[in-house]
Amino acid sequence: MSCAAGCKPADAPAASADGTRDKAGGPTIALMPKSKGNGYFVAAKRGAEDAASELGVKLLFDGPTEPDPARQNEIVETWITRGVDAIAVACENREAVSSSLRKARARGIKVVTYDADALPDARDFFVNQATPEGIGNALVDEAARLLGGRGRYAVITGSLTAGNMIEWQKAIERRNADRHPGLQRIALRPCDDLKDRAFAETTAILNAHPDVGLIMAICSPAVPGAAEAVKQAGKAGKVRVIGLGLPGENRRYLHEGVTDTVILWKVKDLGYLAVQAAHACLEGRLRAGATRHDGGRLGEVRVADGQILLGEPFLFTRANVDQFDF
Amino acid sequence: MSTDLRRARPVALVLGVLAVILAVTAPGFFSRAQLAPFLAGTAPVLVVACGMAVLMVTREVDVSVGSQFALCSVLLGLLLGEGCPPALGIPAAVAAGALLGAVNGALAAGLRLPGLVVTLGTLAIGREALRWAREGRFVQDLPPSVQWLGLGQSLGQWALALAALAVATAVSLGLQGLMAGRWVHAAGSDPAAAATVGVPVRRVTFGAFTLLGALTGLAAALNVARFTDVDPKTGAGLEMQVIAAALIGGVSIEGGRGGILGVSLGVLLLAALSPALVFLGIPPEWERVLQGAIVLASVAGGTRRAPGRPTP
Amino acid sequence: MRRPGIPAPSRETLLAALLIVEGAVFSVTGHGFASLDNVLGLARLACEGGLLALALAPVVLAGGIDLSLGSLLGLSSVVLGLLWRDAGWPWPWAAAGAVACGALGGLVNAVAVARLRANPLIVTLGTLSLFRGLAEALTRGVDTVTGFPAAFLSLGQGALAGGVPVQAPLLAAALAGSWLLVHRHRCGREWRAIGFSAEGALHAGVPVGRRRLQAHLLAGVAAGVAAVVQVSRVGQAKADAGTGMELLAVTAVVLGGTHLSGGQGSIAGTFLGFAVLAVLRNGLQLSDQPAELAGILTGVVLLGVLVLGARRGGQRG
Repeated sequence: MSCAAGCKPADAPAASADGTRDKAGGPTIALMPKSKGNGYFVAAKRGAEDAASELGVKLLFDGPTEPDPARQNEIVETWITRGVDAIAVACENREAVSSSLRKARARGIKVVTYDADALPDARDFFVNQATPEGIGNALVDEAARLLGGRGRYAVITGSLTAGNMIEWQKAIERRNADRHPGLQRIALRPCDDLKDRAFAETTAILNAHPDVGLIMAICSPAVPGAAEAVKQAGKAGKVRVIGLGLPGENRRYLHEGVTDTVILWKVKDLGYLAVQAAHACLEGRLRAGATRHDGGRLGEVRVADGQILLGEPFLFTRANVDQFDF
Repeated sequence: MSTDLRRARPVALVLGVLAVILAVTAPGFFSRAQLAPFLAGTAPVLVVACGMAVLMVTREVDVSVGSQFALCSVLLGLLLGEGCPPALGIPAAVAAGALLGAVNGALAAGLRLPGLVVTLGTLAIGREALRWAREGRFVQDLPPSVQWLGLGQSLGQWALALAALAVATAVSLGLQGLMAGRWVHAAGSDPAAAATVGVPVRRVTFGAFTLLGALTGLAAALNVARFTDVDPKTGAGLEMQVIAAALIGGVSIEGGRGGILGVSLGVLLLAALSPALVFLGIPPEWERVLQGAIVLASVAGGTRRAPGRPTP
Repeated sequence: MRRPGIPAPSRETLLAALLIVEGAVFSVTGHGFASLDNVLGLARLACEGGLLALALAPVVLAGGIDLSLGSLLGLSSVVLGLLWRDAGWPWPWAAAGAVACGALGGLVNAVAVARLRANPLIVTLGTLSLFRGLAEALTRGVDTVTGFPAAFLSLGQGALAGGVPVQAPLLAAALAGSWLLVHRHRCGREWRAIGFSAEGALHAGVPVGRRRLQAHLLAGVAAGVAAVVQVSRVGQAKADAGTGMELLAVTAVVLGGTHLSGGQGSIAGTFLGFAVLAVLRNGLQLSDQPAELAGILTGVVLLGVLVLGARRGGQRG
């Protein structure tokens, strides 16, 4: 059976049918995305695979097929039964996963969160790529820079109920009010995480609000969708496009000058660091109160308050996008 | 044609009201810049809905069209990316769709299994297999000759809309004029009676599934032609959109009745809802409420229109 | 389609055999599959879906369908959360409110189907959007209610004596109750009669409208109860709760041998069908297989069982 989604083929699974951990190889670390089939988390998984092969760890990668906190909770429960050594989760909703993560910790499983945190008592460490504030600030500051501090913008989000996007929207609104009163958000539209729908929504916004100066797409399929709409409307350069997305999906539009900036951290490093941190917890190299963590190929990274900091969001532009392979 | 018109009246009325509201408060909706991409984007949905209407007239339903649409889109994208010319790739997508439809048809008509359940199974298989294989990766950077079928944007947009209109007209004429069309109606209104007068009911059903698959493949090609990338999640929720469009367009879920005119208006109404909310400045959280209300209203309209009909 | 030869096994036997095969395979491939912990955990996790499937069975038996149950679960969850947090109701009242909301939603379906005689597929396709839309509108989609009191959370997360989750007796009660109703009570006989032929049933003096109403109402109540169970298990109330669960329930019911045209089917079959799906998902994950494979195999199992069952004469009346 091939196993394209990244789990290592279970070569000798019969070793531990009683629920004890298989110590034959290295430890088993289970990595959960918010949802599968999402390019962002696939990039994180590629980084995690690098770390797993460096450290001799067996990596499991699974999650809900659609972002679903109840299902995340269920998968953690099943991993507890399965007997993994460490779990790294990108939490769709902090309360929803925390109850099962606490249970995992009580059973001696190390718990790391990445991308989005659980409640602090439900995990050992949070690999923090950027806070919602960091993301919101970067987006609004970039919008203000492109619009010269004054203008109207519209936001395309994934779905109205996606937890992280709700956080980002709030952060965007706060930054907008605090620092850039000249900016005005005139529309917020969901695109169901579909590129084609983001295209249709952006087209409608461009025509309904001819004075819109910038489209801000905060889910990754929406960025190329919005860019294509602006391009087809013949408004490239006149209406700016920025967003949170993967550099690879936006390379063409960045080079064509349709999309100005794609904001993201180095997702591969995020997955890499999550597995690194989980492994260090297992080996006792990383304990509560630590201020430094050996991040393998990333060198030493800062730890504060139970949070391992990956660094600030990164701005991908036409100038640097070709340096990245995700 | 007159029954077709009568059946389309309620949905035409709602669409008309929406159009008047938009014309008064947001005339920009009818600008070329909005209308052309809107119609081009709705064209693929209309093509699928025509196939769905035919299938529903035979008293069957297919909830797997969304995953068929995605599979055909990705297949076409990969073929084009490998340098296959669109003149070969598009027929291949249509053939792939027809094959997927034929599998559903063989299970449903050949083994007499309920189509809803069969396609619930093939929906899951197709969608999950695609997610497994692609992991959400776009098929990127299709050759420039692909977009708008090489016709350029403004011409291409109208070409897509006209292609869908041509399909709708052909299906409509076929349903009314051809022997096959009469068979479809006969098989749907009373399969047992149809069989006794020599209508090959099971072959008609199989054919309707296959036709729907082929049209879904064609729709995928029309959709791919609008862009330069293929999103493997494309078509998620398409099944509900086209089934709802068929229902509010006057196609009977009990088979036997339905016309393409109503279905086309139903497609337009549901597709227009979301951009209309943008133009009217209505918050997006009301969108689903409105969708549900439109479907329920069509139910109420439907029961009033046929009071004597027993609904067992 | 009558073919001579070996008689095909009944659906229940087929599913039981499938369940045994799953058990045997996953005991070998799954880490910790054959442990008491896992069995108890399964009862906890599967409860909500099981409730919906068991409540859907009578609706389908009577020739109907309900696609709105997942959305109704979401709406009831939101109602629970808002009643507790914003209206300040104590949690037992808020939970009762959620069940009432489920009942009300079921009543909407019931009235449209039983009184207005509208087609249940269309009605519940409409309410599928409507209920989810109302849940989103009530919370603007973004509002998530969390921080429920521990006593409430222990309903979903706690355990009775011996580590048995609270969900286990609830699911058992639902199983027993629906079995009694469908197989030992006049209701069940009449649902079946309606499914076979509504007109015939009417002539035989069956209160067709009332029975249909009851089936939809019951399904709504089950969605409300499932909402309480899920909110207390997960600890949050949000508008997207239960997305897609209607399809899981329909799949389980059909897999269990209930004919979509109505008339035939059993509670045992429904429960076994649901168990086959739940064990498949659990076992595959414990065998380190990705979630996509579980989705694919769900489709394959559904088609496979249908094809095997087709030897018995197909599903059409």
